[in-house]
Amino acid sequence: MALDPDKVDASFYGELRRHYSEEEIVELGAFIGFNIGYHTFFGTLKFYPMFAPDGRLVSQEESARIYGAAPASLAAATK
Amino acid sequence: MPRIQPLQRDEIRDPELLELIRRGEALGVPDALFPRILARVPGHAKALLCALLVSHAEGNVDHRLKEIIRVQLARTAGDPYFGGLRSSKARQAGLDEEKIAAGAGKFENDPRFSAAEKWALSYAREMYLNPENIDAAFYAEGKRHFTEAQIMELGAFIAFHYGMQAFSRTLGAVPSPPEVT
Repeated sequence: MALDPDKVDASFYGELRRHYSEEEIVELGAFIGFNIGYHTFFGTLKFYPMFAPDGRLVSQEESARIYGAAPASLAAATK
Repeated sequence: MPRIQPLQRDEIRDPELLELIRRGEALGVPDALFPRILARVPGHAKALLCALLVSHAEGNVDHRLKEIIRVQLARTAGDPYFGGLRSSKARQAGLDEEKIAAGAGKFENDPRFSAAEKWALSYAREMYLNPENIDAAFYAEGKRHFTEAQIMELGAFIAFHYGMQAFSRTLGAVPSPPEVT
């Protein structure tokens, strides 16, 4: 949906129906669309999580150092 | 035919959802098709429709500017459904097709747009085509034209509508013809 929307065609939806109900597909599609829109917007605002992986409240500068410019999962950040 | 079948009108009984669908139809954005698809998950449908309507038709940024931005975004997303819908409120306020088309074109040197409008149109276009261009200097320029609250209103509107357009594109939806009653 985000990178190659032409691939999400009728046959793709046909395959989705083998695994999910129509209700679940709508739920997934709306959730994914919402995240496509908002994460790009958030990226332009340059803000970072308020808390470090150990639960400390940290400054935005420290948070940027901890989490980096690229998104990383919490599990990866705590290794 | 959309890839997810919309519910029929008589299958939707939630009064709050029906009211949101009515509000969308009155505005013209969205028409009943997208809400009836969302209605398969009524809790989601109500939250999403409310956000679509509030972000587009309420707030402290000119609705006509938001309407131009919304159509520009639909073209970026390649979504004929939202790109084909028009706000009756914006039309009644004087917005015409010529200016909508100009907002999706080379608006930078177009005298029909103010400096503030050009910044907002650039904000929407660059957000999904060249997000690296929306940097601190870009936001500083935006603050010469808009308050921080207005910039957040614009950013949230752009993000939400683009996200729903990206989803809508995959549904293969097109605006529904007027119903004969």
